[in-house]
Amino acid sequence: MTALLSIRDLKVAYRRDGVAVQALKGVGLDVEAGERLAFIGESGSGKSTLALAVAGLLAKTVEIGGTIDWSIAKSQPSHSFAPPSVLPDISPTRGEIEPSSPPSPISNVAGGDPTAELLISPQLGEMSGRTEGGAVERQPSRPRDTIPRLGRDIGFVFQDPSSSLDPVMQVGKQIAEVIRTHLDVSWKDAYTRAKTLLERVRLPDPDSALHAYPHQLSGGQKQRVAIAAAIAAAPKLLIADEATSALDTIVQAEIVALIRRLVAEDGMTLIVISHDIALAATLADRIAVLRHGELLELGENQQIIEAPRHAYTRSLLDAHLGLDAKPMLDRQGASE
Amino acid sequence: MKRLPHLFRSPEAIAGALILALLAAMALAAPLLFPGDPQAIAGPALLPPFQDWSLPLGTDRLGRDVLAELFHGARTSLAVGLAAAAAALLIGALVGTLAGFAGGLVDEVLMRITDAFQTVPSFLLALAFVSIVGPSLGVVVAAIALSAWTGPARVARAEVLSIRERDYVAGARVIGMHPLEIAFREVLPNALPPVLALSSVIVAAAILTEAALSFLGLGDPNRVTWGGMIAEGRTVLRTAPFLSIVPGVALVLTVLGVYLAGEGVVESTAMRRSLS
Amino acid sequence: MSLLTVSNLAKRYDSGGKPFAAVDDLSFEINPAETLALAGPSGSGKSTIARLVLRLIQPDAGRIDFEGSDFLALTGAALRARRARLQMVFQDPLAAFNPRATVARVLDDPLRIHGIASRAERPRRVAALLERVGLNAGLAARAIHEISGGQRQRVAIARAIATKPSLIVLDEAVSALDVSVRGQILELLIDLQRQERIAYLFISHDLGVIRAVAHRVVLLDAGRIAESGDARAVIANPQSAIGKALVAAAPRLTRNRP
Repeated sequence: MTALLSIRDLKVAYRRDGVAVQALKGVGLDVEAGERLAFIGESGSGKSTLALAVAGLLAKTVEIGGTIDWSIAKSQPSHSFAPPSVLPDISPTRGEIEPSSPPSPISNVAGGDPTAELLISPQLGEMSGRTEGGAVERQPSRPRDTIPRLGRDIGFVFQDPSSSLDPVMQVGKQIAEVIRTHLDVSWKDAYTRAKTLLERVRLPDPDSALHAYPHQLSGGQKQRVAIAAAIAAAPKLLIADEATSALDTIVQAEIVALIRRLVAEDGMTLIVISHDIALAATLADRIAVLRHGELLELGENQQIIEAPRHAYTRSLLDAHLGLDAKPMLDRQGASE
Repeated sequence: MKRLPHLFRSPEAIAGALILALLAAMALAAPLLFPGDPQAIAGPALLPPFQDWSLPLGTDRLGRDVLAELFHGARTSLAVGLAAAAAALLIGALVGTLAGFAGGLVDEVLMRITDAFQTVPSFLLALAFVSIVGPSLGVVVAAIALSAWTGPARVARAEVLSIRERDYVAGARVIGMHPLEIAFREVLPNALPPVLALSSVIVAAAILTEAALSFLGLGDPNRVTWGGMIAEGRTVLRTAPFLSIVPGVALVLTVLGVYLAGEGVVESTAMRRSLS
Repeated sequence: MSLLTVSNLAKRYDSGGKPFAAVDDLSFEINPAETLALAGPSGSGKSTIARLVLRLIQPDAGRIDFEGSDFLALTGAALRARRARLQMVFQDPLAAFNPRATVARVLDDPLRIHGIASRAERPRRVAALLERVGLNAGLAARAIHEISGGQRQRVAIARAIATKPSLIVLDEAVSALDVSVRGQILELLIDLQRQERIAYLFISHDLGVIRAVAHRVVLLDAGRIAESGDARAVIANPQSAIGKALVAAAPRLTRNRP
């Protein structure tokens, strides 16, 4: 396994009424290419901030420190028909989130080319990238090309599909727009692909769904459309941020099955953000447990569930009310 | 106090606030600086500005001190503008809240009345009202309020319609709160911010309407008003244009100040809303 | 005798010109100090039933008897007075309160409206309510938006019990909470039920939660009862199609097989 991205000492602070709130306090972990990784935790754990940082979606005013290093294959030229690849050895590149100020000494040491430093311009919260190490000689430094782009390299599925879809645009057009933005195809081809995508996410009657508006669809159907838009440009990494929390149990199970199938079919890397340890366990191979902006433990699914190292993980497992748990009515009754 | 730094972030808002502060100072200082009757004769008629330093802005056709009139006119303009806008917002918010919250027949009747007021040009309405009842400060305020309450009423109603579906209104019903208390204690305060955003426009319009009424001779005859001053100067516009220009500039600056400061407040509250 | 009896309740909505039955010929009853759960997927009519029972919306047909009298016959002041006995806790504890309110005001309102305590006595009652739901009395001065989600839901429960109700409708009351907080809130609800003999109409899509706290369950599908009975028995061996689907969809803490 090779790391698709490695996060080192990631610190994120929001400013609220002039007071800095630390959302992440130095988190470090590797996301392996092709794996399914879950970030779990309760509100305030920083799990969503971590996902947003990986996707480069944090606001410009947020203070960010540490690094997120990517080894995404350099994006294919948009006219190329080559399938997306997660092979890291084609052109190891590196994207970096620069700390606000002063520029970290690491960035000064690592940058071989002084002009590359200028190009990077460590602007607050902005993601920048550059080639690294031996690659510098073989390939001129072209930072903008190597930044993982949201939509193209990363697909992001949000919790609430009603707010992530444009309410006054037909869903077919929304998906076709994503395809047109990232791939060099005609509108006609984009629509053909959009229809194929709607079939892939198992939307009933994809032909009429192409011309439907979001309000005409149910919550589960909207989330299927949002997933179709997220995978439209064949990203290497799919991030699902509480993508099923707003749905009822039955639809949630369907969406979970859909994400599992799509990730397996396309060989995508998956990052799942969830407050629900059982849900995370059904979707992921590895689970990272976060609390108050710190990574408490990271391990294989089975190890986390059967032999958690941290007491907090144990308490999360105990709090899960499965269909085999002892009813609380009895628990309390026995103590009386 | 927390919103002041936000307010003073934009230079326009600072300019607006400064103009308003100056105006308020003028209005407050008027009886101290010019204790006598501003309508009393103070010197020779039609003295141009900057000739006699005891009468820096000169005198009008009847020999009255223009500077004293300007200061006392600021009192009238501000008083009428603020009172009329406050009355218009109050009436509008009450009518809009009742219509939106009660729904059904009450809503229908109240909104048709609002329509009726809106279809008549507002200045004509004020004009007709003052000419029937007779000019006095209170009547002018009422006339302006009568022509300006429909905007706030519509905004308040739209806001109330969305708020009344929220859980906390259902929660208030569940604990047995009386519908009127729900409307005015739970719903109205939360519907107010967009209504109050209209206030700068309404204050500015009210000041202009007051000036226009005075210009037409329908202002309170016992008070100096800028509109009345402009009308006075009109007859000697060729020989003594300053008599119209001075109050005209004051009027423009006031409206500009109200508008800029209002925008600043709206923007800062919008920013705080989006931040929270 | 049952506390709440719902008979042949029906509510139709217009959906794009087509009438659609949100609740269709529904009958059930709740006994004193009992928890009856309503479960079903989105659109099964759970929340409509909650709003009908609370008289927030009017049914098209049917009858609701509460504490031995016709609840639908009440209007105006009589209805408002009777509301003291039938309370509700909402899903989103932030949306359930006036955004400008303080904790003290939220708890003061029901005491004032139903004349439960004099003005001078009310601050003490507010403090007692906060302590009853496991909160510090000092929280009273805080604004609703300043406290945490779990604290807010405790305040919501405190408001619901302020008027000493015999029945509280809990509409997805724990589904927006963190799992650790959820457990504490459920324990608080069970404790209140035992101490004050309060019955709950517990609405949820989560069978795990229902199994933990409910005595009986009614499974709904498209506004109708699919099956009902002892909560654990129904969940252990569902007979209806929707029951089987709900049980199959419940997340399980088992190892993930690729």
